[in-house]
Amino acid sequence: MTDTNTKPESFSKDSTKTYSLVELVKAPTTMVDHGPDDTIFSFPVVALLELLLTLGVVALLLLMSLFVNAPLEEIANPNTTTDPAKAPWYFMGLQEMLEHGHPTLMAVLMPTLMVLFVIAIPYIDNSRTGSGVWFTSKRGKRITLYTAVYILVVMPLYIYLDTTFPLREMLRGQLPDFLLQAIIPALIMGAIVILPLMVLWRTQPTAREVVMTLFTVLFFSAIVFTLAGFLFRGPGFELYWPWNMPGDYSPWDNL
Amino acid sequence: MQRLIDFITNSRVWRSFFRHGWPDNPLDRSLVMTTNVFFHLHPVKVSRKSLSAKYSLGLGLISAIVFGVLSITGLLLMFYYAPTVERAYGYITILQTQVPFGQLLRNMHRWGAHLMVISVVLHMARVFYTGAYKPPREFNWVVGVVLLILTLGASFTGYLLPWDQLAYWAITVGTSVAGYEPLMGAAIKSILLGGPEVGQEALTRFYALHVMLIPGAILLITSLHMWRVRKDGGLAAQDAEESEESGAKSEE
Repeated sequence: MTDTNTKPESFSKDSTKTYSLVELVKAPTTMVDHGPDDTIFSFPVVALLELLLTLGVVALLLLMSLFVNAPLEEIANPNTTTDPAKAPWYFMGLQEMLEHGHPTLMAVLMPTLMVLFVIAIPYIDNSRTGSGVWFTSKRGKRITLYTAVYILVVMPLYIYLDTTFPLREMLRGQLPDFLLQAIIPALIMGAIVILPLMVLWRTQPTAREVVMTLFTVLFFSAIVFTLAGFLFRGPGFELYWPWNMPGDYSPWDNL
Repeated sequence: MQRLIDFITNSRVWRSFFRHGWPDNPLDRSLVMTTNVFFHLHPVKVSRKSLSAKYSLGLGLISAIVFGVLSITGLLLMFYYAPTVERAYGYITILQTQVPFGQLLRNMHRWGAHLMVISVVLHMARVFYTGAYKPPREFNWVVGVVLLILTLGASFTGYLLPWDQLAYWAITVGTSVAGYEPLMGAAIKSILLGGPEVGQEALTRFYALHVMLIPGAILLITSLHMWRVRKDGGLAAQDAEESEESGAKSEE
Protein backbone atom coordinates (compact mmCIF):
# COMPACT_ATOMS: atom_id res chain seq x y z
CA MET A 1 0.00 0.00 0.00
CA THR A 2 2.96 2.32 -0.51
CA ASP A 3 2.36 4.03 -3.84
CA THR A 4 -1.24 3.93 -4.95
CA ASN A 5 -0.66 6.09 -8.00
CA THR A 6 0.86 3.39 -10.19
CA LYS A 7 -1.26 0.65 -11.72
CA PRO A 8 -2.56 -1.46 -8.87
CA GLU A 9 -0.90 -4.77 -8.18
CA SER A 10 1.29 -4.74 -11.29
CA PHE A 11 4.51 -6.46 -10.41
CA SER A 12 6.78 -4.61 -12.79
CA LYS A 13 10.25 -5.85 -13.65
CA ASP A 14 12.10 -2.67 -12.87
CA SER A 15 10.45 -1.55 -9.68
CA THR A 16 12.54 0.43 -7.24
CA LYS A 17 11.94 -2.03 -4.48
CA THR A 18 14.95 -4.12 -3.59
CA TYR A 19 14.95 -7.80 -2.85
CA SER A 20 17.36 -10.05 -1.06
CA LEU A 21 18.13 -13.50 -2.35
CA VAL A 22 17.01 -16.12 0.10
CA GLU A 23 16.94 -19.27 -1.95
CA LEU A 24 16.86 -20.43 -5.57
CA VAL A 25 13.87 -22.58 -6.37
CA LYS A 26 13.20 -24.21 -9.75
CA ALA A 27 9.48 -23.65 -10.03
CA PRO A 28 7.15 -21.34 -11.97
CA THR A 29 5.84 -19.48 -8.96
CA THR A 30 7.15 -15.99 -9.63
CA MET A 31 4.67 -13.23 -10.30
CA VAL A 32 7.24 -10.96 -11.98
CA ASP A 33 5.82 -9.24 -15.05
CA HIS A 34 2.36 -10.57 -14.33
CA GLY A 35 -0.51 -8.21 -13.84
CA PRO A 36 -3.58 -9.20 -11.89
CA ASP A 37 -5.26 -12.18 -13.55
CA ASP A 38 -8.14 -11.44 -15.87
CA THR A 39 -10.68 -13.64 -14.14
CA ILE A 40 -14.41 -13.77 -13.55
CA PHE A 41 -16.55 -15.65 -11.04
CA SER A 42 -17.41 -19.18 -12.17
CA PHE A 43 -20.89 -18.64 -10.84
CA PRO A 44 -23.09 -17.73 -12.61
CA VAL A 45 -21.38 -17.03 -15.98
CA VAL A 46 -19.59 -20.36 -16.49
CA ALA A 47 -22.56 -22.31 -15.15
CA LEU A 48 -24.87 -20.52 -17.59
CA LEU A 49 -22.51 -21.05 -20.54
CA GLU A 50 -22.37 -24.75 -19.75
CA LEU A 51 -26.13 -24.96 -19.45
CA LEU A 52 -26.52 -23.20 -22.80
CA LEU A 53 -24.07 -25.53 -24.51
CA THR A 54 -25.90 -28.53 -23.03
CA LEU A 55 -29.21 -27.24 -24.36
CA GLY A 56 -27.66 -26.58 -27.77
CA VAL A 57 -26.11 -30.03 -28.09
CA VAL A 58 -29.28 -31.80 -26.94
CA ALA A 59 -31.40 -29.68 -29.30
CA LEU A 60 -29.11 -30.52 -32.21
CA LEU A 61 -29.24 -34.26 -31.46
CA LEU A 62 -33.00 -34.16 -31.01
CA LEU A 63 -33.50 -32.30 -34.28
CA MET A 64 -31.33 -34.72 -36.22
CA SER A 65 -33.08 -37.68 -34.59
CA LEU A 66 -36.47 -36.31 -35.61
CA PHE A 67 -35.54 -36.31 -39.28
CA VAL A 68 -33.00 -39.10 -39.76
CA ASN A 69 -33.68 -42.64 -38.60
CA ALA A 70 -30.97 -44.98 -37.35
CA PRO A 71 -30.44 -47.79 -39.87
CA LEU A 72 -31.81 -51.25 -39.23
CA GLU A 73 -31.37 -54.06 -41.75
CA GLU A 74 -32.76 -57.60 -41.70
CA ILE A 75 -32.00 -59.85 -38.74
CA ALA A 76 -28.40 -61.08 -38.55
CA ASN A 77 -27.77 -64.07 -40.77
CA PRO A 78 -24.32 -65.71 -40.54
CA ASN A 79 -24.97 -67.51 -43.83
CA THR A 80 -25.41 -64.46 -46.07
CA THR A 81 -22.48 -62.09 -46.22
CA THR A 82 -23.30 -58.47 -46.98
CA ASP A 83 -21.41 -56.92 -49.87
CA PRO A 84 -19.43 -54.92 -48.98
CA ALA A 85 -18.96 -55.99 -45.35
CA LYS A 86 -17.69 -52.92 -43.54
CA ALA A 87 -16.58 -52.24 -39.98
CA PRO A 88 -18.11 -49.23 -38.15
CA TRP A 89 -17.01 -46.00 -39.87
CA TYR A 90 -14.31 -45.07 -37.32
CA PHE A 91 -12.52 -48.37 -38.06
CA MET A 92 -12.81 -47.96 -41.83
CA GLY A 93 -9.37 -46.35 -41.87
CA LEU A 94 -7.95 -49.62 -40.56
CA GLN A 95 -9.95 -51.70 -43.00
CA GLU A 96 -8.76 -49.46 -45.84
CA MET A 97 -5.14 -49.89 -44.71
CA LEU A 98 -5.59 -53.66 -44.87
CA GLU A 99 -6.10 -53.29 -48.62
CA HIS A 100 -2.59 -51.96 -49.01
CA GLY A 101 -0.33 -54.47 -47.34
CA HIS A 102 0.28 -57.38 -45.02
CA PRO A 103 -2.29 -57.56 -42.18
CA THR A 104 0.39 -57.75 -39.48
CA LEU A 105 1.94 -54.54 -40.81
CA MET A 106 -1.27 -52.65 -41.51
CA ALA A 107 -3.59 -53.85 -38.73
CA VAL A 108 -1.12 -54.44 -35.93
CA LEU A 109 2.27 -52.75 -36.31
CA MET A 110 1.10 -49.42 -37.75
CA PRO A 111 -1.85 -48.87 -35.34
CA THR A 112 0.36 -49.82 -32.38
CA LEU A 113 3.02 -47.37 -33.56
CA MET A 114 0.40 -44.64 -34.00
CA VAL A 115 -1.09 -45.09 -30.52
CA LEU A 116 2.38 -45.23 -28.95
CA PHE A 117 3.39 -42.06 -30.82
CA VAL A 118 0.26 -40.21 -29.69
CA ILE A 119 0.85 -41.26 -26.07
CA ALA A 120 4.51 -40.24 -26.30
CA ILE A 121 3.83 -36.75 -27.72
CA PRO A 122 4.12 -34.80 -24.42
CA TYR A 123 7.30 -36.69 -23.55
CA ILE A 124 8.95 -36.01 -26.92
CA ASP A 125 8.06 -32.30 -26.85
CA ASN A 126 8.34 -31.23 -23.24
CA SER A 127 9.04 -27.54 -23.71
CA ARG A 128 6.59 -25.16 -22.08
CA THR A 129 6.62 -22.47 -24.73
CA GLY A 130 3.58 -22.12 -26.90
CA SER A 131 1.25 -23.79 -24.45
CA GLY A 132 -2.28 -22.48 -24.93
CA VAL A 133 -1.67 -20.90 -28.35
CA TRP A 134 -3.12 -22.36 -31.53
CA PHE A 135 -0.24 -23.80 -33.62
CA THR A 136 2.27 -22.10 -31.25
CA SER A 137 3.48 -19.57 -33.84
CA LYS A 138 2.95 -18.33 -37.39
CA ARG A 139 5.60 -20.80 -38.47
CA GLY A 140 3.71 -23.59 -36.73
CA LYS A 141 0.57 -22.61 -38.57
CA ARG A 142 2.39 -22.74 -41.89
CA ILE A 143 3.96 -26.12 -41.08
CA THR A 144 0.55 -27.56 -40.20
CA LEU A 145 -1.08 -26.13 -43.33
CA TYR A 146 1.61 -27.36 -45.73
CA THR A 147 1.76 -30.80 -44.13
CA ALA A 148 -2.04 -31.12 -44.23
CA VAL A 149 -2.20 -30.14 -47.91
CA TYR A 150 0.67 -32.52 -48.71
CA ILE A 151 -1.11 -35.43 -47.01
CA LEU A 152 -4.47 -34.58 -48.57
CA VAL A 153 -2.81 -34.84 -52.00
CA VAL A 154 -0.39 -37.72 -51.48
CA MET A 155 -2.53 -40.16 -49.50
CA PRO A 156 -5.57 -40.26 -51.84
CA LEU A 157 -3.11 -40.62 -54.73
CA TYR A 158 -1.39 -43.51 -52.97
CA ILE A 159 -4.71 -45.24 -52.27
CA TYR A 160 -5.81 -44.77 -55.88
CA LEU A 161 -2.53 -45.90 -57.47
CA ASP A 162 -2.07 -48.85 -55.12
CA THR A 163 -5.59 -50.05 -55.94
CA THR A 164 -5.57 -49.57 -59.71
CA PHE A 165 -1.95 -50.61 -60.32
CA PRO A 166 -1.38 -53.09 -57.52
CA LEU A 167 2.33 -53.65 -57.86
CA ARG A 168 2.06 -56.19 -55.08
CA GLU A 169 -0.31 -58.36 -57.11
CA MET A 170 1.47 -57.93 -60.46
CA LEU A 171 4.80 -59.08 -59.08
CA ARG A 172 3.31 -61.94 -57.06
CA GLY A 173 5.48 -65.03 -57.46
CA GLN A 174 8.41 -63.09 -58.88
CA LEU A 175 9.49 -61.64 -55.55
CA PRO A 176 9.16 -63.17 -52.07
CA ASP A 177 5.74 -62.47 -50.58
CA PHE A 178 7.14 -60.97 -47.42
CA LEU A 179 9.05 -58.36 -49.43
CA LEU A 180 6.01 -57.50 -51.54
CA GLN A 181 3.37 -57.37 -48.82
CA ALA A 182 5.30 -56.04 -45.85
CA ILE A 183 8.67 -54.47 -46.68
CA ILE A 184 7.68 -52.47 -49.78
CA PRO A 185 4.44 -51.01 -48.33
CA ALA A 186 6.30 -50.18 -45.14
CA LEU A 187 9.01 -48.39 -47.14
CA ILE A 188 6.44 -46.42 -49.16
CA MET A 189 4.54 -45.39 -46.01
CA GLY A 190 7.84 -44.56 -44.31
CA ALA A 191 8.90 -42.39 -47.26
CA ILE A 192 5.60 -40.49 -47.23
CA VAL A 193 6.03 -39.75 -43.53
CA ILE A 194 9.75 -38.93 -43.70
CA LEU A 195 9.57 -36.54 -46.67
CA PRO A 196 7.97 -33.56 -44.88
CA LEU A 197 10.32 -34.16 -41.94
CA MET A 198 13.32 -33.94 -44.26
CA VAL A 199 12.06 -30.65 -45.67
CA LEU A 200 11.48 -29.39 -42.14
CA TRP A 201 14.86 -30.60 -40.94
CA ARG A 202 16.74 -28.04 -43.02
CA THR A 203 15.11 -25.19 -41.10
CA GLN A 204 16.29 -26.39 -37.67
CA PRO A 205 12.86 -27.16 -36.21
CA THR A 206 11.97 -27.31 -32.54
CA ALA A 207 10.68 -30.53 -30.99
CA ARG A 208 7.20 -29.00 -31.10
CA GLU A 209 7.45 -28.44 -34.86
CA VAL A 210 8.64 -32.00 -35.49
CA VAL A 211 5.81 -33.41 -33.40
CA MET A 212 3.35 -31.07 -35.10
CA THR A 213 4.41 -32.34 -38.54
CA LEU A 214 4.10 -35.98 -37.46
CA PHE A 215 0.73 -35.46 -35.77
CA THR A 216 -0.61 -33.64 -38.82
CA VAL A 217 0.56 -36.51 -41.04
CA LEU A 218 -1.17 -38.97 -38.72
CA PHE A 219 -4.37 -36.98 -38.22
CA PHE A 220 -4.99 -36.15 -41.87
CA SER A 221 -3.95 -39.62 -43.06
CA ALA A 222 -6.50 -41.05 -40.63
CA ILE A 223 -9.15 -38.76 -42.12
CA VAL A 224 -8.21 -39.71 -45.70
CA PHE A 225 -8.16 -43.45 -45.02
CA THR A 226 -11.39 -43.35 -43.02
CA LEU A 227 -13.19 -41.41 -45.75
CA ALA A 228 -11.73 -43.65 -48.48
CA GLY A 229 -12.92 -46.78 -46.70
CA PHE A 230 -16.25 -45.41 -45.59
CA LEU A 231 -17.37 -43.36 -48.60
CA PHE A 232 -15.40 -44.59 -51.62
CA ARG A 233 -15.54 -48.36 -51.21
CA GLY A 234 -18.49 -50.14 -52.79
CA PRO A 235 -19.42 -53.74 -53.57
CA GLY A 236 -16.39 -56.04 -53.72
CA PHE A 237 -14.59 -53.32 -51.74
CA GLU A 238 -13.77 -51.64 -55.07
CA LEU A 239 -13.19 -47.90 -55.38
CA TYR A 240 -16.20 -45.90 -56.63
CA TRP A 241 -17.40 -42.33 -56.39
CA PRO A 242 -19.76 -42.18 -53.39
CA TRP A 243 -22.58 -40.81 -55.58
CA ASN A 244 -22.01 -43.39 -58.29
CA MET A 245 -22.19 -46.71 -56.45
CA PRO A 246 -23.37 -49.76 -58.41
CA GLY A 247 -26.74 -51.27 -57.50
CA ASP A 248 -28.68 -49.72 -54.66
CA TYR A 249 -25.71 -49.65 -52.29
CA SER A 250 -25.18 -46.38 -50.45
CA PRO A 251 -22.24 -45.99 -48.06
CA TRP A 252 -24.38 -43.78 -45.81
CA ASP A 253 -26.59 -46.76 -44.95
CA ASN A 254 -23.65 -48.13 -42.97
CA LEU A 255 -23.83 -45.45 -40.30
CA MET B 1 -44.13 -13.13 1.13
CA GLN B 2 -40.67 -11.86 2.07
CA ARG B 3 -41.21 -13.25 5.55
CA LEU B 4 -42.13 -16.64 4.12
CA ILE B 5 -38.97 -16.67 1.97
CA ASP B 6 -36.89 -15.63 4.94
CA PHE B 7 -38.49 -18.33 7.05
CA ILE B 8 -37.70 -21.00 4.48
CA THR B 9 -34.16 -19.85 3.73
CA ASN B 10 -33.34 -19.51 7.41
CA SER B 11 -34.77 -22.87 8.35
CA ARG B 12 -32.38 -25.60 9.45
CA VAL B 13 -33.46 -27.82 6.60
CA TRP B 14 -32.68 -25.19 3.92
CA ARG B 15 -29.40 -24.24 5.56
CA SER B 16 -28.34 -27.86 5.68
CA PHE B 17 -28.75 -27.99 1.87
CA PHE B 18 -27.28 -24.63 0.94
CA ARG B 19 -24.39 -23.30 2.93
CA HIS B 20 -24.33 -19.94 1.23
CA GLY B 21 -26.62 -16.98 0.69
CA TRP B 22 -28.07 -15.82 -2.63
CA PRO B 23 -25.01 -15.52 -4.90
CA ASP B 24 -25.25 -11.83 -5.80
CA ASN B 25 -22.05 -10.75 -4.03
CA PRO B 26 -18.41 -11.89 -4.20
CA LEU B 27 -18.52 -13.75 -0.88
CA ASP B 28 -21.55 -15.83 -1.72
CA ARG B 29 -20.35 -16.36 -5.30
CA SER B 30 -17.19 -17.82 -3.81
CA LEU B 31 -19.09 -19.91 -1.30
CA VAL B 32 -21.43 -21.24 -3.97
CA MET B 33 -18.39 -22.88 -5.51
CA THR B 34 -16.33 -23.87 -2.47
CA THR B 35 -19.26 -25.38 -0.59
CA ASN B 36 -20.43 -27.39 -3.59
CA VAL B 37 -19.34 -30.62 -5.21
CA PHE B 38 -18.86 -28.61 -8.42
CA PHE B 39 -15.76 -27.15 -6.81
CA HIS B 40 -14.09 -30.30 -8.13
CA LEU B 41 -14.78 -29.04 -11.65
CA HIS B 42 -14.33 -25.28 -11.41
CA PRO B 43 -12.36 -22.92 -9.24
CA VAL B 44 -14.13 -19.89 -7.74
CA LYS B 45 -12.78 -17.69 -10.50
CA VAL B 46 -11.79 -18.69 -14.00
CA SER B 47 -9.64 -16.90 -16.51
CA ARG B 48 -11.55 -15.05 -19.19
CA LYS B 49 -9.24 -16.54 -21.84
CA SER B 50 -10.16 -20.12 -20.98
CA LEU B 51 -13.80 -19.32 -21.71
CA SER B 52 -13.04 -18.19 -25.25
CA ALA B 53 -14.95 -20.39 -27.68
CA LYS B 54 -12.28 -19.65 -30.28
CA TYR B 55 -9.72 -21.29 -28.04
CA SER B 56 -11.29 -24.54 -26.84
CA LEU B 57 -14.24 -24.83 -29.27
CA GLY B 58 -16.00 -26.39 -26.26
CA LEU B 59 -15.15 -29.86 -27.56
CA GLY B 60 -14.28 -31.50 -24.24
CA LEU B 61 -17.49 -30.26 -22.69
CA ILE B 62 -19.50 -31.33 -25.74
CA SER B 63 -18.02 -34.84 -25.38
CA ALA B 64 -19.08 -34.94 -21.73
CA ILE B 65 -22.57 -33.65 -22.55
CA VAL B 66 -23.04 -36.24 -25.30
CA PHE B 67 -21.82 -38.91 -22.89
CA GLY B 68 -24.57 -37.75 -20.53
CA VAL B 69 -27.20 -37.94 -23.30
CA LEU B 70 -25.94 -41.41 -24.22
CA SER B 71 -26.15 -42.59 -20.61
CA ILE B 72 -29.75 -41.43 -20.25
CA THR B 73 -30.98 -42.69 -23.64
CA GLY B 74 -28.98 -45.89 -23.16
CA LEU B 75 -30.57 -46.54 -19.79
CA LEU B 76 -34.02 -46.05 -21.31
CA LEU B 77 -33.17 -48.35 -24.21
CA MET B 78 -32.28 -51.09 -21.72
CA PHE B 79 -35.95 -51.28 -20.73
CA TYR B 80 -36.78 -52.59 -24.18
CA TYR B 81 -33.93 -54.93 -24.90
CA ALA B 82 -32.65 -58.42 -24.20
CA PRO B 83 -29.18 -59.51 -25.29
CA THR B 84 -30.18 -62.84 -26.79
CA VAL B 85 -29.80 -63.88 -30.39
CA GLU B 86 -33.48 -64.87 -30.56
CA ARG B 87 -34.98 -61.72 -29.07
CA ALA B 88 -32.61 -58.77 -29.55
CA TYR B 89 -33.73 -57.92 -33.08
CA GLY B 90 -37.39 -58.36 -32.21
CA TYR B 91 -37.04 -55.93 -29.35
CA ILE B 92 -35.53 -53.31 -31.66
CA THR B 93 -38.48 -53.57 -34.06
CA ILE B 94 -40.92 -53.36 -31.14
CA LEU B 95 -39.02 -50.33 -29.85
CA GLN B 96 -39.23 -48.64 -33.24
CA THR B 97 -42.86 -49.40 -34.02
CA GLN B 98 -44.76 -49.74 -30.74
CA VAL B 99 -42.92 -47.90 -27.97
CA PRO B 100 -43.82 -44.18 -27.77
CA PHE B 101 -40.79 -42.17 -28.92
CA GLY B 102 -38.90 -45.47 -29.22
CA GLN B 103 -37.53 -44.67 -32.67
CA LEU B 104 -36.56 -41.18 -31.51
CA LEU B 105 -34.77 -42.65 -28.50
CA ARG B 106 -32.81 -45.06 -30.64
CA ASN B 107 -31.97 -42.32 -33.15
CA MET B 108 -30.63 -40.07 -30.40
CA HIS B 109 -28.49 -42.88 -29.02
CA ARG B 110 -27.15 -43.74 -32.47
CA TRP B 111 -26.33 -40.21 -33.64
CA GLY B 112 -25.09 -39.32 -30.17
CA ALA B 113 -22.63 -42.22 -30.33
CA HIS B 114 -21.26 -41.01 -33.67
CA LEU B 115 -21.10 -37.43 -32.41
CA MET B 116 -19.15 -38.49 -29.34
CA VAL B 117 -16.50 -40.28 -31.42
CA ILE B 118 -16.16 -37.16 -33.59
CA SER B 119 -16.08 -34.69 -30.70
CA VAL B 120 -13.54 -36.74 -28.74
CA VAL B 121 -11.23 -37.00 -31.76
CA LEU B 122 -11.57 -33.28 -32.50
CA HIS B 123 -10.97 -32.51 -28.83
CA MET B 124 -7.70 -34.41 -29.05
CA ALA B 125 -6.71 -32.46 -32.17
CA ARG B 126 -7.61 -29.19 -30.45
CA VAL B 127 -5.53 -30.05 -27.38
CA PHE B 128 -2.65 -31.02 -29.62
CA TYR B 129 -2.66 -27.95 -31.86
CA THR B 130 -2.98 -25.56 -28.91
CA GLY B 131 -0.04 -27.30 -27.24
CA ALA B 132 -2.16 -27.98 -24.18
CA TYR B 133 -0.40 -31.32 -23.55
CA LYS B 134 2.83 -29.58 -22.50
CA PRO B 135 4.09 -29.78 -18.92
CA PRO B 136 2.52 -30.04 -16.40
CA ARG B 137 -0.32 -31.59 -18.41
CA GLU B 138 1.53 -34.59 -19.92
CA PHE B 139 -0.24 -37.20 -17.85
CA ASN B 140 -3.68 -35.80 -18.57
CA TRP B 141 -2.94 -36.16 -22.29
CA VAL B 142 -2.26 -39.87 -21.69
CA VAL B 143 -5.52 -40.13 -19.71
CA GLY B 144 -7.24 -38.52 -22.68
CA VAL B 145 -5.81 -41.10 -25.09
CA VAL B 146 -7.18 -43.84 -22.83
CA LEU B 147 -10.59 -42.12 -22.92
CA LEU B 148 -10.47 -41.97 -26.73
CA ILE B 149 -9.82 -45.71 -26.90
CA LEU B 150 -12.63 -46.37 -24.41
CA THR B 151 -14.98 -44.21 -26.50
CA LEU B 152 -14.21 -46.28 -29.59
CA GLY B 153 -14.74 -49.43 -27.50
CA ALA B 154 -18.09 -48.19 -26.22
CA SER B 155 -19.28 -47.40 -29.72
CA PHE B 156 -17.97 -50.64 -31.19
CA THR B 157 -19.57 -52.87 -28.54
CA GLY B 158 -22.87 -51.05 -28.93
CA TYR B 159 -22.79 -51.55 -32.68
CA LEU B 160 -23.53 -55.28 -32.33
CA LEU B 161 -26.56 -54.98 -30.07
CA PRO B 162 -29.34 -54.43 -32.69
CA TRP B 163 -28.31 -57.82 -34.09
CA ASP B 164 -29.10 -56.98 -37.71
CA GLN B 165 -27.00 -57.73 -40.78
CA LEU B 166 -25.19 -54.41 -40.49
CA ALA B 167 -24.23 -55.08 -36.86
CA TYR B 168 -23.31 -58.70 -37.40
CA TRP B 169 -20.97 -58.18 -40.34
CA ALA B 170 -19.42 -54.99 -39.01
CA ILE B 171 -18.42 -56.79 -35.81
CA THR B 172 -17.29 -59.84 -37.77
CA VAL B 173 -15.03 -57.64 -39.90
CA GLY B 174 -13.92 -55.55 -36.91
CA THR B 175 -12.97 -58.46 -34.71
CA SER B 176 -11.23 -60.33 -37.54
CA VAL B 177 -8.72 -57.44 -37.58
CA ALA B 178 -7.81 -58.34 -33.98
CA GLY B 179 -7.11 -61.87 -35.18
CA TYR B 180 -4.22 -60.64 -37.38
CA GLU B 181 -2.09 -59.93 -34.35
CA PRO B 182 0.44 -62.77 -34.48
CA LEU B 183 1.11 -63.36 -30.79
CA MET B 184 -2.11 -62.76 -28.88
CA GLY B 185 -4.52 -62.06 -31.74
CA ALA B 186 -6.37 -65.35 -31.55
CA ALA B 187 -6.61 -65.07 -27.76
CA ILE B 188 -7.93 -61.48 -27.88
CA LYS B 189 -10.49 -62.46 -30.48
CA SER B 190 -11.76 -65.43 -28.52
CA ILE B 191 -11.91 -63.40 -25.29
CA LEU B 192 -13.99 -60.75 -27.09
CA LEU B 193 -16.27 -63.16 -28.91
CA GLY B 194 -16.36 -66.05 -26.44
CA GLY B 195 -16.10 -68.41 -29.38
CA PRO B 196 -14.80 -68.79 -32.93
CA GLU B 197 -17.40 -66.47 -34.45
CA VAL B 198 -19.95 -63.80 -33.57
CA GLY B 199 -22.81 -65.52 -31.73
CA GLN B 200 -24.71 -65.56 -28.45
CA GLU B 201 -21.53 -65.46 -26.35
CA ALA B 202 -20.30 -62.42 -28.24
CA LEU B 203 -23.65 -60.67 -27.80
CA THR B 204 -23.64 -61.35 -24.04
CA ARG B 205 -20.09 -60.08 -23.69
CA PHE B 206 -20.59 -57.01 -25.84
CA TYR B 207 -23.74 -56.16 -23.89
CA ALA B 208 -21.97 -56.37 -20.53
CA LEU B 209 -19.07 -54.32 -21.85
CA HIS B 210 -21.38 -51.78 -23.46
CA VAL B 211 -23.82 -51.08 -20.64
CA MET B 212 -21.58 -51.50 -17.60
CA LEU B 213 -17.85 -51.95 -17.90
CA ILE B 214 -16.90 -49.37 -20.52
CA PRO B 215 -19.30 -46.57 -19.47
CA GLY B 216 -18.29 -47.15 -15.85
CA ALA B 217 -14.64 -46.85 -16.81
CA ILE B 218 -15.35 -43.73 -18.90
CA LEU B 219 -17.19 -42.13 -15.97
CA LEU B 220 -14.35 -42.84 -13.53
CA ILE B 221 -11.55 -41.85 -15.87
CA THR B 222 -13.40 -38.72 -17.05
CA SER B 223 -13.64 -37.69 -13.39
CA LEU B 224 -9.88 -38.12 -13.14
CA HIS B 225 -9.44 -36.23 -16.43
CA MET B 226 -11.48 -33.23 -15.25
CA TRP B 227 -9.99 -33.17 -11.77
CA ARG B 228 -6.59 -33.27 -13.37
CA VAL B 229 -7.42 -30.32 -15.64
CA ARG B 230 -8.10 -28.32 -12.48
CA LYS B 231 -5.02 -29.57 -10.64
CA ASP B 232 -2.82 -28.72 -13.62
CA GLY B 233 -4.00 -25.12 -13.49
CA GLY B 234 -7.09 -25.06 -15.68
CA LEU B 235 -7.06 -24.70 -19.45
CA ALA B 236 -3.72 -23.92 -21.01
CA ALA B 237 -5.22 -20.76 -22.54
CA GLN B 238 -4.21 -18.94 -19.35
CA ASP B 239 -0.54 -19.60 -20.04
CA ALA B 240 -0.87 -18.08 -23.47
CA GLU B 241 0.23 -14.54 -22.62
CA GLU B 242 3.77 -15.48 -21.71
CA SER B 243 4.23 -17.72 -24.71
CA GLU B 244 2.85 -15.12 -27.09
CA GLU B 245 5.40 -12.69 -25.80
CA SER B 246 8.28 -15.13 -25.98
CA GLY B 247 7.02 -16.22 -29.39
CA ALA B 248 7.05 -12.62 -30.57
CA LYS B 249 10.58 -12.22 -29.27
CA SER B 250 11.85 -15.26 -31.14
CA GLU B 251 10.15 -14.07 -34.31
CA GLU B 252 12.11 -10.83 -34.25
